[in-house]
Amino acid sequence: MSETTQPKKAGQIITWLVAILVALAAFYLMNHAVMSMQGLPLNWNLTPAQ
Amino acid sequence: MMMFAIPIRISLARHLGTLLATAALIGFVCFGFAATASAQPGDRGTLIVFADEQGAASTNAASLLPAPVLQRDDYPNIGVSSRSIVWVIAQMHLFFGALVLAVPIFVLVIEIIGFRTGDDRYDDMAHEFMKVSLTAYAITALFGGTLALALFLLYPQLMSYLTRAFGSQVLVYAGLFFLESMLLYIYYYGWNALRYGNRKWVHLTLGLLLNAVGTTLLVVANSWTTFMMAPSGVDPETGAIVGNIWEVMKGPLWNPLNLHRLIANVAFGGAVVGAYAAFKFLSATTPEEKAHYDWMGYSSNFIAILAFLPLPFAGYWLTAEIYAYSQQMGILAMGGILAWLFVIQAVLICTILLAANYYLWSGMARSEGSERYRWAIKYIATVLILGFLVWVTPHNVIYTAAEAVKLGGGNHPVLGPLGIMPAKNIAVFLMLICTFLSFQLYRRADKVIAVSWQNWGNALMASIYIVAILNIIFAGVYYGYFTNTVYKVGSSVIQVMSTLVVIVAGVLIDSLMFRGARTLHVSWGRVADRSQYALFALPITFTWLMALMGYVRSSVRTHWHVYTVVRDNSADNFIPTLQTVGNMVTLVTLLFLAFLLFIFWIANLSGTRQLPITVDADAAGARVGT
Repeated sequence: MSETTQPKKAGQIITWLVAILVALAAFYLMNHAVMSMQGLPLNWNLTPAQ
Repeated sequence: MMMFAIPIRISLARHLGTLLATAALIGFVCFGFAATASAQPGDRGTLIVFADEQGAASTNAASLLPAPVLQRDDYPNIGVSSRSIVWVIAQMHLFFGALVLAVPIFVLVIEIIGFRTGDDRYDDMAHEFMKVSLTAYAITALFGGTLALALFLLYPQLMSYLTRAFGSQVLVYAGLFFLESMLLYIYYYGWNALRYGNRKWVHLTLGLLLNAVGTTLLVVANSWTTFMMAPSGVDPETGAIVGNIWEVMKGPLWNPLNLHRLIANVAFGGAVVGAYAAFKFLSATTPEEKAHYDWMGYSSNFIAILAFLPLPFAGYWLTAEIYAYSQQMGILAMGGILAWLFVIQAVLICTILLAANYYLWSGMARSEGSERYRWAIKYIATVLILGFLVWVTPHNVIYTAAEAVKLGGGNHPVLGPLGIMPAKNIAVFLMLICTFLSFQLYRRADKVIAVSWQNWGNALMASIYIVAILNIIFAGVYYGYFTNTVYKVGSSVIQVMSTLVVIVAGVLIDSLMFRGARTLHVSWGRVADRSQYALFALPITFTWLMALMGYVRSSVRTHWHVYTVVRDNSADNFIPTLQTVGNMVTLVTLLFLAFLLFIFWIANLSGTRQLPITVDADAAGARVGT
């Protein structure tokens, strides 16, 4: 494996990790928002708060 | 010039003839309304005036007539089931009405795209779509008039009551119908005369007006339907009309039905013109024709599926409002005898999704760039088939005692949980996401993306897919099976939103990533003939589905003409057997398809020109010489 491909691969892994984290955070917040709007609040771990 | 003008005039005259016939029918309908409005519902039509504090009894007397209490002999007996007659005619009118109101909507959008891009192909395609719609228009009007006549003849007292409820709104409807007819003919026949420059703006404005009037017609007619399901503006005790026309119209189900029908009509219209394109593709003789109709078929499929994707959400809203209005009504629809029809609905929707996906996968052959994405097809197909199997699994089946003992209860120990809504919701939303993925891959197939941030874009898009799918499964399994009912129902909104996020994000990210992208050559017409049969499958399935679910929507009124207000006491005041429903739904579907073939034939005929009859000079000379 050449020296240039290794940083490239690391960069790709970081890109994917960041993208996954962004998507996870967005959907997590969306779940809270959608359920709260219906009067069905959730705990931090997404279990029903009522 | 005259050679072209004469056929156009003949054609115009033929359509104007139909227009006049329609006008006569509308006039007759209005006369019928006026006549029945003044009719008294037999000896039960006694005028009841409630305690009238305002002392306006004389002026309000007509509006305070109670709802008629009908007896069996109030219904004319013509020896055939009145319900069956009205069922067939009403369904045919709805099919054609849906088609002619929906086609101008996407035709206008296509025309705008053609105007903005300066590509005449869009304009030609939009014009050809209108040709199909125009022929269907006359049939719509004829079925509408026939339906009105059948209703006045077979249900006179009910129509008298409905006339009191809606009053002069019926005349507004007739006026709108005239306006719609005029605009439609000017829009179609003025297409080439108003094609370029400022004149195009006039034509686009006409299209906009046509759609505004058409959509108003739709929502007005919807108010009659929803009034019968969930009446508003009436006294609940007597059924007397106490509200004004606006209060009568804006019942709780009106807007959900408006949205649902509007979207469904566009999907249906797209599917029907797609079948027309497939018909023309298969009968095309030149590569140019094949390329044109292949592109037309692709565009139709795109319209049909784009409208179809948000349809479940509109359906969800309508059903939720039905439940909110009357739990009994909701449970009858989805938990009682009618629930079996939802299993058939599942089969039909899955057929639509499979056909649409198959068409897209076949269409990938048009572009060499599709090789990059073909690997994904088998995974998408697997999810679609698994989703289909889950969706079609019934919760319980009627078993014999021996079978129930063998099974260990009423539900199958493994498949039982798949019969309830949480599992079906997961299946439906994953199938919708997969269908969108097919679209996205198809759109990307002929592009070489050039933006510098394409790795970020692809990673984000893929992450949204992965997390949305996991979120849908999590919400369905956890809230659906391990929490209380309120959270179970509420969590379906999470699934709806997750699906919408994928669709919206997909469109947004792709539109940004396609900037500066290199477009690969697309060989229109290079598609297998068998893919065209998927385009035929779409309208057939859509038609069947509309007939089936339209019956369910109407049938939840059970033994009421107007729910809880006007009781149905005719010989047909019962929910028919599922076998009868299946036969009727199939009958109207086949009838509509037969009419559709006629329309395609007529549309094809209008573009056919006979060559002049030439006499062979030598043969003629020989005959003269003998």
